[in-house]
Amino acid sequence: MRFFFLIYLFLFSFSNANEVDTRVNTISKNIRCLVCDGQSVYESNSDFAKDIKNYVKKEIKDNKSDKEIYDFLTSKYGQSIIFNPPFSIKNIMLWLTPALFFLIGVYIIFRRLSAPK
Amino acid sequence: MYLKKEFKIFALLIFFGLLFSLFYNSLFKKKDFEPRVMIGKQLPNLSSKSLFYDQNINIKQIANNNLFIINIFASWCAPCKIEHPFLMQLKRKKISIIGINYKDNKKNAKVFLKKYGNPYQEVLLDNKGELSINLGAYGVPETYLVDKNFKIIDKHIGPISNQFVNKVLNSK
Repeated sequence: MRFFFLIYLFLFSFSNANEVDTRVNTISKNIRCLVCDGQSVYESNSDFAKDIKNYVKKEIKDNKSDKEIYDFLTSKYGQSIIFNPPFSIKNIMLWLTPALFFLIGVYIIFRRLSAPK
Repeated sequence: MYLKKEFKIFALLIFFGLLFSLFYNSLFKKKDFEPRVMIGKQLPNLSSKSLFYDQNINIKQIANNNLFIINIFASWCAPCKIEHPFLMQLKRKKISIIGINYKDNKKNAKVFLKKYGNPYQEVLLDNKGELSINLGAYGVPETYLVDKNFKIIDKHIGPISNQFVNKVLNSK
């Protein structure tokens, strides 16, 4: 019985560690390394990136949600630290331009198809 | 009819021209740093072990009700040596400076301060970079000017110069 309990504990801690690492990787891929050129914190080995990864790992272990982690980092470094910024009035063009182009494309195709030959 | 078609082409050309110039210009726009994010905010609670003795220190508890400076440094950081004389100059002008020793070896940090002089009222250890993240720092050296109400009123990335010293003395 004790043996099975130990195995259970081992497997549980292993899967938990895996889960933490997966979350650290997912979040750090969405965080910009501010002292590198075009790299994410996940890709970079700079001190800044290492510090952020350690911070994210610590916060995940402290049961913080992704939103709490992102909110903390944007409060310290601004929105530019996140690769995928949330929808806001400041970046409305960024989000609406692709949809606008799509609609223009659909309109042009529709006009072409429905035009009398 | 012919005029209408020409107008459409002209309008499209203008539209795409404007769009092109917008994207082209943003290619050269400096977009990474927003170093002023922390300016105007309250100083976060920063506490850590002292470099000199085995005791936890909270910056807010040691600041003596006056304007003060927080300086992030390390013995391995070359630009820190460049800015050191300016920190010593501020110390001579009775400006309180609290150091944050970033990812350094304790012994090397002490040798550094012995060799170049110690401008710090107190030095806190930041072995994991947690204090620096809490301050919104990008690296070393970095300097923050904090008023007596613990509001961050200025921040300087990289080695400080005479310009920063004058700014501090004028804010006193």
